[in-house]
Amino acid sequence: MKQVKRLLRMHRIFVAQELKRMMEYKGDFIVGIVGFLLGQFFNMLFIWIIFSQIPDLAGWTLEQVVFIYGFSLVPKGLDHLLFDNLWAIGHFIVRRGDFDKYLTRPINTLFHVMVEKLQIDALGELIMGIALICITLPAVSIEWSFVKVLLIIIAIPFATLIYTGIKTATAAIAFWTKRSGNITYMFYMVNDFAKYPVTIYNNTVRNIITYIIPFAFTAYYPALYFLTGENPWFNVGMTVIISIIVMVIGVVIWNKGIKAYESAGS
Amino acid sequence: MIYVENLRKEFKKTIKEPGIKGSIKSFFKPQKEIVSAVKDISFSVEKGEILGFIGPNGAGKSTVIKMLTGILTPTSGTCTINGKCPTDDRKNYVKEIGVVFGQRTQLWWDLPLRETYGVLKEIYEVPDDKYHKRMAFLNEVLDLDSFITSPVRTLSLGQRMRADIAASLLHSPKVLFLDEPTIGLDVVVKDNIRNAIEYINKQEKTTVILTTHDLSDIELLSKRIVMIDKGSNVFDGTISELKNKYGQIRELHFETDTSDVASVLSYSEHFGFGKDDVSVESEGSSVKVRFNSSIVPVSDMLGYTLGKINITDISVKDADIEEIIRRLYKQGV
Amino acid sequence: MKKKLSIYMPFINAGMQETTTYRANWIFMMLGNVLGCFVSYFIWNAVFISSGDSNMNGFTMPQMVVYIFLMFLTSTIISSGGTYDIGEEIRDGSIAMRMIKPISYNSTFMFQELGNKFMTCCILIVPMVIGVEIVRTIFIGSVQFNILGFLLYIVSCVFAYLINFFFNICFGFIAFIIKYLWGANMMKNCIVGFLSGVTIPLSFLPKTLEQIFLFLPFASLNYTPVMIYMGKYSGASLVYYLGLQVFWVLFFWALSKLLWKVALKHLSVQGG
Repeated sequence: MKQVKRLLRMHRIFVAQELKRMMEYKGDFIVGIVGFLLGQFFNMLFIWIIFSQIPDLAGWTLEQVVFIYGFSLVPKGLDHLLFDNLWAIGHFIVRRGDFDKYLTRPINTLFHVMVEKLQIDALGELIMGIALICITLPAVSIEWSFVKVLLIIIAIPFATLIYTGIKTATAAIAFWTKRSGNITYMFYMVNDFAKYPVTIYNNTVRNIITYIIPFAFTAYYPALYFLTGENPWFNVGMTVIISIIVMVIGVVIWNKGIKAYESAGS
Repeated sequence: MIYVENLRKEFKKTIKEPGIKGSIKSFFKPQKEIVSAVKDISFSVEKGEILGFIGPNGAGKSTVIKMLTGILTPTSGTCTINGKCPTDDRKNYVKEIGVVFGQRTQLWWDLPLRETYGVLKEIYEVPDDKYHKRMAFLNEVLDLDSFITSPVRTLSLGQRMRADIAASLLHSPKVLFLDEPTIGLDVVVKDNIRNAIEYINKQEKTTVILTTHDLSDIELLSKRIVMIDKGSNVFDGTISELKNKYGQIRELHFETDTSDVASVLSYSEHFGFGKDDVSVESEGSSVKVRFNSSIVPVSDMLGYTLGKINITDISVKDADIEEIIRRLYKQGV
Repeated sequence: MKKKLSIYMPFINAGMQETTTYRANWIFMMLGNVLGCFVSYFIWNAVFISSGDSNMNGFTMPQMVVYIFLMFLTSTIISSGGTYDIGEEIRDGSIAMRMIKPISYNSTFMFQELGNKFMTCCILIVPMVIGVEIVRTIFIGSVQFNILGFLLYIVSCVFAYLINFFFNICFGFIAFIIKYLWGANMMKNCIVGFLSGVTIPLSFLPKTLEQIFLFLPFASLNYTPVMIYMGKYSGASLVYYLGLQVFWVLFFWALSKLLWKVALKHLSVQGG
């Protein structure tokens, strides 16, 4: 308990530092947020243009597709906002030997790396995601219940953890290969599959994104439960279980990786 | 307090082949080889000692330091510091050490320097009252006040180094590791930093391990040195021992009005010196002769020289440590 | 000329070495992009099934498959990273050093990229083209590969690369205004991605928009080479679009020269 308290305190301090840093570079952060908003805007435009030529997509209405898409941006944006520094591990921190710093400090290295940066750009995704959910909500006819709202609130942090776990595992590969940013990138491209209803894919792809690289649990399954109220044990329960499994795998690889870390220079 | 035994570290390295063909070939089938950066290093350090750790580029100094600080896991061998093994219980171990890498900084780059100490205080769990006392002490020794409110990216190299050393000392570590702490600094700043290190060592009995290329750091700070080359120990002892063992080199300085000294004085032929045992440098009327006094005593050299040419002024000196080490590097011992 | 080239040989070599050194990284990036193609494939597949039409805005499903993968190949061939390199130099001020170097910055940078590209092309073009041709052959029932079309595609890609190269250099100068290059670059990529047809074929857009986009330089980047490969442009339109590409090459080349001059003046006023 004392340990958890300390970590939370550390997190607060790092976030405070980041906010101070942001004050120094206000313009940059606006550029970043607008950049991500723009990216999502063009994706929406794509979906909209397509739907202007077809009545529905494999049985899904425009609103439903956009709802799932918007939902996918929330856990993705949260992970991006809070734990983006893991990308830097695979891209340059390990390669340049800058990881030394974390190893000479008396806190858990993974925790230190994760909370050290706050990526404000991610607000672009979060704003867009929440906006899309709000816009489509009236049109997707949902039966409201207390349990449903509760389960969705529970699902979101766990869905976020799937991203964080996969990022941890793939970033940690850099301890052996020096550079693994593009492995993370590859996994993130798989994540694009999860932004759309999985019923448009064939069985192979569906099984891969459900059981092997479980990105489908970051958006489609929880959103499906929200839309239909069906199968909470699978749609939400599995999200929780799988996210924990993924994160544990990530931590194990990370801890093994630290032992293999080679630093840089002579 | 520090014991290092048969420490060894191996790295995997990719061999690159030149040219277009090589590029394509190594794209599809890279060649790997195992390189031992550190082969077999053993030494020990007492509490409160300042140990100079030296060796030519690529000798494995940084690798050893990184193993001692828990950054690298040794391939084999052991190191024990304060009874702890760095990689076994890393988090508790690093509370007792301070580390400065001259070429990197651990300061928060975009924020005023003060913020870094605020965060480090939390990371190392330094209580408030202790923190204030400590900052006052560090400020006195390293004179941080004049730039503590400036963003770190605006500091000069000298200021940054002082700030980094202060950062490594904030939690009153028992051992301080300094990797090239004076690299790239001018003479005055170097002097400041050396004084600060010496002061802290005296005041707090902090054990200091120091690597450097600048041998004057070593001469001024440490009584004892460990020299390594190609990943193995080559010398371990005090500076005077080093001078006794390898330092039979003497320098003869004289002024002469005889022209073309080099042709008149033929030391090698007369005394039968080996190639590395004697060297003559002349510049205008002043001449410097370096020779190995274990082969020919100083008096013989003086006698021969005075008999051959006309001398207006003469002096004999011990070679400085830099000269000794340069010769050791060159010969590979 | 030969002597001039030999100055740049080290840069070509460095570019090739780069790809080799981080080959695993490179392979994973390509795999990631191929996965992105598959996402597009499945979406379009669902779209075609849902629409019930076998032809949407001039594309059949097999053609769409070819389009998706050719877009990926073309984007990889013509990619250029000038924005970052120039932007970084502007940001840290080292661009002033360029004034005293005896060789042209544009050229050194381009040759380094060419080294990189050479490796990429060696590894990527053959399997991609074979794959695309197999798909076409299976769906249409006869071999579609046309050597002239392929050669024209390569020529068009060269023009597209040059446009992209000079455009990215020009865009790099934005570092004088926006310090956050990563964000600026992302904005640019989003816009260019849409305007150049990577996100969706331009023929799916409303007709007026399509006409405007076709004239803009971005269509000359990805869309034109892919359309040429697919045999959608021929005769007069082929000449027109290749001519348009040449026009944009010259335009951005001149603009980059101009921006260099302005930037250097700006720097000398600032005192570096």
